Amino acid sequence: MKSVLVVDDASFMRLALKTMLEKNGYKVVAEAENGIKAVEKYKELHPDIVTLDITMPEMDGISALKEILSYDPNAIVIMASALGQEVYIKEAILAGAKYFIVKPFKEEHIVTVLNKVLSERR
Amino acid sequence: MQDHTQEPLLEMFIFETVQLLEQLEQLVISIEKSGFFDQDAINEIFRIMHTIKGSSTMMNIGSISSVAHSVEDLFYILRENKTSGFDQSKVSDIILESIDFIKEEVRLLDSGVSNNGDAGPLTGKIRNFISEISGQQDNRQSTTADGTEEQEYTEGSNDTNRQENLKTYSSVIFFDDDCGMEGMRAFSLIHNLKDIASDISHIPENLTSDADTDTIIRNSGLKIRFMTEHTYEEVYNFLSQTIFLKKVELTETTDVAAGETDDSRNKGNDESRGENDSRLYGQTELRSVDPQQNVRSNDVSGRLSASQHSIVSVNVAKLDKLMDLVGELVISEAMVTQNPDLEGLTLDNFQKAARQHRKIISELQDIAMSIRMVPLSATFQKMHRIVRDMSRKLDKDVRLEIIGEETEVDKNIIEHISDPLMHLIRNALDHGIEPKEERRAKGKPVTAVVTLEAKNAGGDVLIIVKDDGRGLNRQKILARAKENGLVSRPDSELTDKEIFSFVFLPGFSTKEKATEYSGRGVGMDVVAKNIGVIGGNVSLSSVEGEGTAITIKIPLTLAIMDGMTIAAGGHKYTIPTLSIRESFKAKETDVFQDPDGNEMIMIRGECYPVLRLYEVFKLDTCVTNISDGIIVMVENQGKCICLFTDELIGEQQVVVKALPDYIKKFKKVRGVAGCTLLGDGSISLILDIGGLVEYGA
Repeated sequence: MKSVLVVDDASFMRLALKTMLEKNGYKVVAEAENGIKAVEKYKELHPDIVTLDITMPEMDGISALKEILSYDPNAIVIMASALGQEVYIKEAILAGAKYFIVKPFKEEHIVTVLNKVLSERR
Repeated sequence: MQDHTQEPLLEMFIFETVQLLEQLEQLVISIEKSGFFDQDAINEIFRIMHTIKGSSTMMNIGSISSVAHSVEDLFYILRENKTSGFDQSKVSDIILESIDFIKEEVRLLDSGVSNNGDAGPLTGKIRNFISEISGQQDNRQSTTADGTEEQEYTEGSNDTNRQENLKTYSSVIFFDDDCGMEGMRAFSLIHNLKDIASDISHIPENLTSDADTDTIIRNSGLKIRFMTEHTYEEVYNFLSQTIFLKKVELTETTDVAAGETDDSRNKGNDESRGENDSRLYGQTELRSVDPQQNVRSNDVSGRLSASQHSIVSVNVAKLDKLMDLVGELVISEAMVTQNPDLEGLTLDNFQKAARQHRKIISELQDIAMSIRMVPLSATFQKMHRIVRDMSRKLDKDVRLEIIGEETEVDKNIIEHISDPLMHLIRNALDHGIEPKEERRAKGKPVTAVVTLEAKNAGGDVLIIVKDDGRGLNRQKILARAKENGLVSRPDSELTDKEIFSFVFLPGFSTKEKATEYSGRGVGMDVVAKNIGVIGGNVSLSSVEGEGTAITIKIPLTLAIMDGMTIAAGGHKYTIPTLSIRESFKAKETDVFQDPDGNEMIMIRGECYPVLRLYEVFKLDTCVTNISDGIIVMVENQGKCICLFTDELIGEQQVVVKALPDYIKKFKKVRGVAGCTLLGDGSISLILDIGGLVEYGA
């Protein structure tokens, strides 16, 4: 089973995403509500996948992305953003994010993206 | 809050949204006090609304998400245009109105009603305001680049080496129909393409995900042109890897004219290709964005509770269970150490160990209780809003002072305090505090002060609502009481306290006309009742012309109670000590029957109803003569009755346990509030004094 670290400052979002992921066979090994905790948890648990919200307090998604990637260039990071945040998605892509999902999350999309991710990296 | 454990997502949504709204409300009110919206505050408000928008969209609650969206838009503009040339009070009004709207929708959700609030008027208002302020500012089109614009040249070292094996391909990519954000996906694809290709050019050239770009790509696909050494298969495979890909068309071309690496775009040859776009195959543009202001919203720690970091959210049901078990533990400890088997034995080591055991359990009990304790801050802070709204509406100048908000109270109790407090504050503002001119005429400071104070007093918590208004008018109350036929003794005999307590009677009001806020006479008695439910009481004191103080006394916890255990009909019952006025032995001659056939007793010139417990609970007993048993006079909300019991057993602290569900559901048992286990293992039913008083009256 693939492990996932879910990062978002809203508990509700984390719960929603976790529910979708677990329904589809993924295991959410940890949650984090800001970039700093996200990096911490990543270093601690080395999850297979990280879902990373872009706008968060303390340390935003882009910075966290960069830190995680510099720690582990092979990290699979999926950015989560809302409509209207294209500018940040661009930045994220330039920084090394391979994939992004859009809020509100559609379960099929998330599953497609994750499956794609895993099939590519194998 | 209701229990939505069937739907954890909904529960989480309600919980988090309510929390965020409270944060936001406090934030706005403190901004109003300080007088300006600083950048941190704007960011914080934006972030909160953004989160609420996101969550409500996920939960498909259109009304909430459209309001949140509008406020988010408003704050986006306020954030981008850092000038402060906007009407601040209008903005805070908008936010507060939005908070109220969303609060109401959430409340409906919580009670299971499908919400159909119409967000139209509110969002319309916000949009109008937005266009007002946008009109004032420079219209900066945010589609053009902010910050530095980098023209990125196509990568690779192919500028000068046009080698033989470099092939030019052109491709058209179509994404899945409903994947959304095609512009972004295109950007991602192009970005990835740079790993294997150079001299990339594409239509549409502007890959921001605006509605136009997305539509263009959806309709005519993403057209790209690039050069690479890779073979057709390799390129095709690469492109096929694209996520949400519907279709890819790939052709190798020999035309190398397109995709030059210089800045100028409108080349003649390109235009001659007959494309309709006026600017063909532009370069890939990358805009670097200043991340500082937009993405990082600094923690407004001064306003938010810094304690967010070391707090865990626990389901209240678990806490209840914990309390339950600790209560059981206390009882079972007593059953061990006071076990009849041990009677008469000398057990030094055992006693030592038992004492230690007792000590630890006692500590555990304290901690378990403290876990459920919650500071009154949140409840008190909510009152700021009420004072703000009312002082505006009534055109009075009022300052709310809060003292002792860190005082903690059991979580179960907190929910029952909010409404009574609100009512008392409303009363103070509506009735108590005089209009500005009157205050001035009386020589009082124009700004009235309402004080909300909380403090510990023994095993109780006192909450005091004080105002420096006109105070209670003893005459008026007395007059109204006489009108209502409530007074039977001469005026001089009635103490102020007794007179004031008339206001707690249902329907009592000295106001000639009810206002929107009060005066209907349904307030104070409901306050008293609600406080009674949590085992507390309310009292008044007042000095005419100077002000009024209302004191609410509530027990620290409902779980443990001081009780007097009695026997009736051979069974054991417990009466809350708080409710007991006195107990005594009576004589046959003291009791009599009133015209309706009810038994009454005369004590010091006053008549009280007598309730024989064995009759109420239909028990077999041989103790039927008044002189054989004990009378316990109990009171509830000023009304007293006398309970006839077999004997008094003793006073002790008991752990209150609720009646089991299957009993509660089967039939409402009048007169029983709960039960408890006594040290000897027997069960004692806890009497519901309020219920018995009603029954007997």
